Amino acid sequence: MASEVYEPFRKGLPPLRKYWRTLWNRRAFIAEYSRSELHEQHFDSVFGQVWLILNPLLLSGVYFVLIVIIGGHSDTTRYGHLTACLFLFYLVANTLQGGVKSVTAGQRLILNTAFPRIMLPISATVVAIFKFIPTLLIFAILRTVLGLPVGWQMLWAVPIILITVIFSLGAAMLISCINVYFRDIANFLPYFTRTLLYLSPILWEASAIKPQLRKIELVNPLFSILDSWSRAVVHAQQPHGSALVIAAAWALGIFLLGTYFFLSREREFAVRV
Amino acid sequence: MSNSIHTTGDLAVSVQHLGLTYTTTIDRRPTLKSRLKSMGRGTKQTRVVRALDDVMLDVHYGSVLGVVGSNGAGKSTLMRVISGILPPSQGKVEVFGKVSTLLALGVGFSPSLSGRENVQLGGLAAGMTRREIEDHFDEIAEFAELGDAIDAPMRTYSSGMYARLAFSVAVTVKPDILIVDEALSTGDAKFKEKSLNKIKELRSDSRALILVSHALGTITDICNEVVWLDKGKLIQRGNPDEVVDAYAKFLHVGKSAAINEDV
Ligand SMILES: Nc1ncnc2c1ncn2[C@@H]1O[C@H](COP(=O)(O)OP(=O)(O)O)[C@@H](O)[C@H]1O
Ligand SMILES: [Mg+2]
Repeated sequence: MASEVYEPFRKGLPPLRKYWRTLWNRRAFIAEYSRSELHEQHFDSVFGQVWLILNPLLLSGVYFVLIVIIGGHSDTTRYGHLTACLFLFYLVANTLQGGVKSVTAGQRLILNTAFPRIMLPISATVVAIFKFIPTLLIFAILRTVLGLPVGWQMLWAVPIILITVIFSLGAAMLISCINVYFRDIANFLPYFTRTLLYLSPILWEASAIKPQLRKIELVNPLFSILDSWSRAVVHAQQPHGSALVIAAAWALGIFLLGTYFFLSREREFAVRV
Repeated sequence: MSNSIHTTGDLAVSVQHLGLTYTTTIDRRPTLKSRLKSMGRGTKQTRVVRALDDVMLDVHYGSVLGVVGSNGAGKSTLMRVISGILPPSQGKVEVFGKVSTLLALGVGFSPSLSGRENVQLGGLAAGMTRREIEDHFDEIAEFAELGDAIDAPMRTYSSGMYARLAFSVAVTVKPDILIVDEALSTGDAKFKEKSLNKIKELRSDSRALILVSHALGTITDICNEVVWLDKGKLIQRGNPDEVVDAYAKFLHVGKSAAINEDV
């Protein structure tokens, strides 16, 4: 007869094929949990959706005024760039924000049910994606109003969003795991995301950066992502091949690191949370 | 849940030389800040709790095993290892069949969600399908007798209501191996009797039951075998009357007083 054997686990990754199978069997949980999370945060109501869009829109308005005041280059393209990049940045920031406490907040479930813990940061990522989708529609309207150029190059948006999601998921796994060991990481997170916002080509354009500061491009994972994003959806241009490669490499690297870190630690969560 | 038929006497759970160690921080909440501080002073920041120590145990189909012991004896920890939630630190646990997918407390993991949503999410997390949950839901709600409260957020539940729902989930999904950890004796007298009857009803099937309870009367009444855990060690195992007697003596209370205890 089939039996389940529980023994002390070896360090490193659990058997991946089996892990994947149990995870796939529980995909309904991810859908349902994300849905109830969105419901709880009122994002399934009209008001919640309006707020979701209004928040980055207002923020981009404020930043735009700021750019005008400090005498920067300001026109409709600039406003389009600012808004598009803020929307994508919020996809990353919301994933991190929702993901960081996903494991520690699921304490009760972790202590009383056997399931692949990775479902928790994945659900947080799905929630952030659902918050991102309406802002995409708003940007589509906005860019028409602003009269931004149109072209097939805008289709690059699809792989760029994919890269962003993979990056965010990896980062969410990483910090949700770290937060189990250091519970104050969640408190540092807002400072971290704020810094990332200023160091990314959102308030300024990637092409405007001083050559001496060009290194940011390599150390800030969002640099290449946002640069490519802005070229594709704002300027309707082909993103630089090098930027795409750097972006994809960052995303894959963080994703693999996050997965490895999470999977090799998660069996310990129940005795730690 | 599973279609396999077990016959009375088959081995359901085999626990061999099981040890489990919790690693906790001395601080209530581990933080980076406190870690950096203690690094400067070179103090140790982890505390090791040996919750189970060389526990040997067999559970057979068609029998009811009672587990008694003081608070902190390691009863819940043992249940978590058998359910596959905690990997053992030493030894081995072998489980033949499907364990109750939810330990009672997994229900209600999210206080802001309703009882209904908690049952659904808990079930999905444990690997049940939407269909299975739907099929059982009415039965669960009916057994718990919560009425409209099933759609209220669980933070508004009293501990009795909470326990009713948890118990209903545990007994309704009909696993091969059912674990009831202290969810049995909460609730009012009427519900208690109802849940006792439910347990007795389940006992007749070819199923293995593990009951953790402080209600020694119930334990002697229903169980075929009882184990007594203390500080992670298995102190005694055997005939319910004998073990409960010994345990009651250990507690320095007369047996009758302990039996009437309800918590
Ligand atoms: N998540 C945990 N982290 C650290 N220590 C724990 C945890 N859960 C239980 N313990 C410790 O393990 C021991 C056994 O606990 P438990 O199994 O809950 O006992 P019981 O259910 O018999 O009351 C206790 O000393 C308790 O403090
Ligand atoms: Mg307990």
